[in-house]
Amino acid sequence: MNERRRPDTAEGGGPGAPRLFRSPLTRFVVAALAWLPVTFGAWYLLGPVLLWPVRLLVQLVARVGMGDLVQTIESGGSSLAFITTLRPGEGIGTGVVSVDVNMLVYAFGMPLFAALTIAAREAKWWRTLAIGYAVMVPFVTWGVLADFLKGIAIAAPAAVASQTGFSGLQRELIAFAYQFGSLILPAVVPAVLWVLLHRAFLERLRQRAG
Amino acid sequence: MLRFFLLFVLLLAVLFGLELTPWVQDWLVVPWTSALASISTWIVTLFDGNVVAAGKVMRSNANGFAVSIEAGCNGVEATLVLLAAMLAFPAPWKHKIVGLVVGILAVQLLNILRVISLFYLGQWNYDVFEWAHLYVWQALIMLDVLVVWLIWVRRVPNSDDHGGPPAAPPALAAG
Repeated sequence: MNERRRPDTAEGGGPGAPRLFRSPLTRFVVAALAWLPVTFGAWYLLGPVLLWPVRLLVQLVARVGMGDLVQTIESGGSSLAFITTLRPGEGIGTGVVSVDVNMLVYAFGMPLFAALTIAAREAKWWRTLAIGYAVMVPFVTWGVLADFLKGIAIAAPAAVASQTGFSGLQRELIAFAYQFGSLILPAVVPAVLWVLLHRAFLERLRQRAG
Repeated sequence: MLRFFLLFVLLLAVLFGLELTPWVQDWLVVPWTSALASISTWIVTLFDGNVVAAGKVMRSNANGFAVSIEAGCNGVEATLVLLAAMLAFPAPWKHKIVGLVVGILAVQLLNILRVISLFYLGQWNYDVFEWAHLYVWQALIMLDVLVVWLIWVRRVPNSDDHGGPPAAPPALAAG
């Protein structure tokens, strides 16, 4: 197997190319922007398939660690419905509380990572895509679970939240996990992963600038 | 690279933890978010006089549509990521300071574009607004942070250019 980069990489660029596009960084950014609509479209269409491992992980964690809170988890496309054991409160109804979570909200880093990886056009980019996807799955799971916990422990009415039995400290931890899992991880994980998996590409970018 | 990565994660966790404290929220995040709404509204009024700002809310007087700039849309987290990435990377302090000033400006300028675009997308089509809000702009802002960091990293002199230890390997090539 040839380990070398493909000759027409984002760092290439012939003498006939416009001056701006001779910069490997500019070409990389333009390529990434061009790939984003494609990867976003594929990600949205394949969402239920791509997020299937997330659903499995969420179900596993819910069964092992939250068996007293979660009766079952129903899947609808890219969303999950957590059917809990919690009651809505006296005089409100006789059913149980359910929390819907849109998994895509925590998974938009997948198309970003794919666009960056394809734009860099390194050898074996498909393997990099697979590694990145596998690493991102647990982080998406984090976001989904934290969203659910936030829903029952913080956003729910007091009559519901009190049934969870969470202490004040646990609520604080859930709030932090939710904020970190929604505001930081979905965007940062793909970028950091891409940097870690493209060190040689980045080093060549630096050397060309030097 | 390992040192950079660990330092980046540590700095990001600390900065994000600080951001969530009531003091930082009251004195920095909330005022900045209100300023962002005012700046965005000021720009919009150059071509649309029916828009007003109230706190962190932008509202159209023409149709009543309003957007509230919440956490994640005020560019603070993106700024923290850039801050952590530049502070963690081995570079002279002069380069870090210049990079941070220019980089934060670049991130916030794109974020203003995000706020204004979402304000009009929401008035046009709510489904498109949701898509742009929840997925596309989040990715674009992170791409902006990454590109700013890459441009900055390319301009950082190698360690032996600024009196650093000559034996040190290039930061990005180190394993």
